Amino acid sequence: MDLEGFEAATVPHMNALYDAALRLAGDHATAQDLTQETYLRALRSFGTFQPGSNSRAWLLRIQYNLFCTQYRRGRRMPLIWLDEGEADPSLDLPSHEPGPEEQTVRELDREAVRRAIARLPEDFRMAVTLVDINGLTCAEAATVMDVPRGTILSRLHRARRRLEAILMPELGRVQADDL
Amino acid sequence: MTCDDFQLRLTAYSLGELDQDELQAARDHVAGCNDCASRALLDRQLTALVRGSAVAAPAATRAAVLAAVRAEAGRADAPRPVRRRHWIALAAALLAAAAVVAAALLVVPAPDPGSPLAAAWSSYHARGKNGLGSPTEAQADRLFAVLGPASRTPDLADFGLRKDGWEARDLAGHLAAVAEYRDAEGGRVTLMRWRGDLPPMPSGSDGDELAAYRWGRHTSYWWRAEGVVWCLVGTIDQERLYKIAEHLGGESEEGAPG
Repeated sequence: MDLEGFEAATVPHMNALYDAALRLAGDHATAQDLTQETYLRALRSFGTFQPGSNSRAWLLRIQYNLFCTQYRRGRRMPLIWLDEGEADPSLDLPSHEPGPEEQTVRELDREAVRRAIARLPEDFRMAVTLVDINGLTCAEAATVMDVPRGTILSRLHRARRRLEAILMPELGRVQADDL
Repeated sequence: MTCDDFQLRLTAYSLGELDQDELQAARDHVAGCNDCASRALLDRQLTALVRGSAVAAPAATRAAVLAAVRAEAGRADAPRPVRRRHWIALAAALLAAAAVVAAALLVVPAPDPGSPLAAAWSSYHARGKNGLGSPTEAQADRLFAVLGPASRTPDLADFGLRKDGWEARDLAGHLAAVAEYRDAEGGRVTLMRWRGDLPPMPSGSDGDELAAYRWGRHTSYWWRAEGVVWCLVGTIDQERLYKIAEHLGGESEEGAPG
């Protein structure tokens, strides 16, 4: 078994997997379970992974399928966000170099943003998680969720409008700061 | 492109997912429309807000996942046979190194669909975010009628676990008593009991022996006493769970009605 190859392809995405799991499951213990089960499943099927393809999207697809088949039943909406104090600060958050806008909003209440995202319907929340947070293209997110690309765009559009409504005070403050 | 057209394409525009023709038309429109330019800015800021809410995996989670992956890879390279233990042997095993206990576990990827193992696994995952509630008085009476003293929720405070609720559930067609516990670190232990036969073990055995399964980092211990199947599942460390299983196993045999 090519453990070294597996770790090289997958470990850099563990933050993304955990973040997505937390947004799906809503609590740390289940998110950790889901992340770990995803990695174990990915290890067993690593032989089917196409080198050079997007390993983050591959992992997220395994995780989403696992959530839908084994974790979703009986779950309620997540609203619990645990202390992040034990997160390893040396590890980069998933995707993206911070741009000027991101620098501007760093001081905003991230907790409020997380709660706003948690209030979205699951399909909207997952689309936001995959595309806006984890940097997948709409086509990749469509593969993960097994829906057409246009459906992802539609869910993102509607999710953003809902988030706008919830987060308007914060957004307004950013705009005022920009003037 | 009109303002309405642009609004409809705003998300795709922000994501860079418009085709070349539409992108150019959108750019031209934004260049001459302050309202839509503001909308586009707002959308970028919203994306930045959302992106900034990403949560990194805790160090403990990373360590646990990596350990599980490496253990799984090791097992795949060198599969080990199942080992069964009798109750007498359990006491001796406790004195042995924890590694011996670990080596004794059978590792399977997931229980077969439809089996009592799968039902227990599903039941384990079906709890609410705030743990279990409590059964109605009628349910509690029925559980006692079916399971006798085995229906009670054992006190595991000596093992650092507090009760987090219990309830009656249908588990593979059996009325089951399900209790949940938590420790100070958030570790979770679930105890399930129902009257029936022990699910077939890989070794083909049944009877009053302790069997162990592991799903990922979930260890489960199974035994049967006085016609009642006991299943203990948890995310706490394996040795501690094992001690609890041994404790409950002894109690279930002594406490069962004659």
